[in-house]
Amino acid sequence: MARLLEVQDMRFAYGKTEVIHGISFYIEEGEIVTLIGANGAGKSTTLNALSGLQRIASGSILYQGHDISKESPQSLVKKGIRLVPEGRQIFPAHTVEENLLLGAYTEKSKDAIRDRMESMFNQFPRLRERRKQFGGTLSGGEQQMLAIARALMTEPTLLMLDEPSLGLAPIIVDEVMQLLASFKGTGLTVLLVEQMANQALEISDRAYVLETGNMVMDGTSAEVAGDPRVIEAYLGNV
Amino acid sequence: MLQTLAFGLSIGAIYALMALAIGMIYSTTRILNFCHASIIMVGAMTAYWCIGVYHLPYWVGVLAAIIVNTIINFIIYYTCLKGLGDLLSNVNWIITLFGMSVVLNNVARMVFGANQNPFPYLFNGASITVGDATVLWHEIFTIVFAVVIGVTYQQICQKTKFGRALRAVSFKPQTAKLMGISSNLIIQLCFMLAAVVAAIGGVLIAPTTFASFSMTTTIGLKGYAAALIGGLGDTKGAFVGGFLLGLIECIITLFIPAGLKDAVSFVLMILVIIFLPGGVLSAKIFTHGRSATEKV
Repeated sequence: MARLLEVQDMRFAYGKTEVIHGISFYIEEGEIVTLIGANGAGKSTTLNALSGLQRIASGSILYQGHDISKESPQSLVKKGIRLVPEGRQIFPAHTVEENLLLGAYTEKSKDAIRDRMESMFNQFPRLRERRKQFGGTLSGGEQQMLAIARALMTEPTLLMLDEPSLGLAPIIVDEVMQLLASFKGTGLTVLLVEQMANQALEISDRAYVLETGNMVMDGTSAEVAGDPRVIEAYLGNV
Repeated sequence: MLQTLAFGLSIGAIYALMALAIGMIYSTTRILNFCHASIIMVGAMTAYWCIGVYHLPYWVGVLAAIIVNTIINFIIYYTCLKGLGDLLSNVNWIITLFGMSVVLNNVARMVFGANQNPFPYLFNGASITVGDATVLWHEIFTIVFAVVIGVTYQQICQKTKFGRALRAVSFKPQTAKLMGISSNLIIQLCFMLAAVVAAIGGVLIAPTTFASFSMTTTIGLKGYAAALIGGLGDTKGAFVGGFLLGLIECIITLFIPAGLKDAVSFVLMILVIIFLPGGVLSAKIFTHGRSATEKV
């Protein structure tokens, strides 16, 4: 399979403080890859860099063979890279429908937007029920579904999720993970960043472990999940 | 009484337009445009130059004011704001905008002179007599036009793609970027709209204040007062604040010396800031006890 995304020796600094010390990883087309790490490991920073919100200090980010490290978030959205940010970041005073429309902001064709919205409502019936409600009035789980649906409005190639399980009840986390697992085979590639890694590892093909700005481990999800250090640090007693 | 009311409302309409324009910029950038009063002056002086000096038609003056204001607002955006870097993390714009306002006022004084120039009323100052009150059509038109602008802006915000994006940038600028929205473009469009509103406000107020380099020094401050009383960035609030201020000022002068009029507006503003920091519309009776819709 071809590599959709390849990050080489990426370094990132806030001012003079380097927080990511040259990490490399890749994602193949159609894969689900999990990036595990504790608080402050640099997971969100990595995703922000991949989505164009922040500029890397050095290294390269190759997407479909082209360096995208200097592109704006707008152009990356058009190229099919979408980030579901940490904490969902639903627009609280926009209705559910408007949130979805914002998700499709770069899409010009009204027909495509209507079709896409319809298919989102079919996939997430709760959102259809609440289409006229303000985003801020939804429950945490509904907001997470809306955040994912919003990102899917442009039919992305690479979907990145920053801690989608954050602050959600376990049963809702299951739902979210099943949803992500269902993307397998649809052509969508998923990069999942998680702190609580149990379920993320269950649905993903491969995993990387990031510790204070260094990539310390990589392998298939089974290998990573079986590693004693990972079990102790990230999986807990299950 | 009707005469006072009409005058109060028409002044209030001008305050509302100022508060609206200040709110447009505040909502997307969290910046209080301290230069706005000077922009209004520039618009009015441009219009005066076309109409009063070169005897061009009224609409040409308005159009010229809009164009000049838009250009100047873009210059201000690039020199006083964008050049400073990340606006969310520094407040140097207070100095640069204030400085730009001093520069504009003094350049206007050099270019146009220090005279107080009469400016024509709309409809050649025609008026309508109701009972013993004489109300200028200009005043009625000012009120109607301000409301039309406010309603239009509100509709743009609620119903169009641009409006959705504008509100998105104003609520969550980072997330808006992730939607593919160019916040820079949205902010520039807001500056453009603010410039247009300033030009129209300038032309409408100029007959009352006369066109001069210092025409907006007092009235400009009232615009900020109106914006704060109504709640910054809130379109409805801008109109509530503007009309409230205009009416109170005019009614109060029936009872107290006119010299104290300005003091009343600012005392009112201070009281609102102390007791209702979110503006008059954030009071419980208007929100029915509901607080912000934000939920983390």
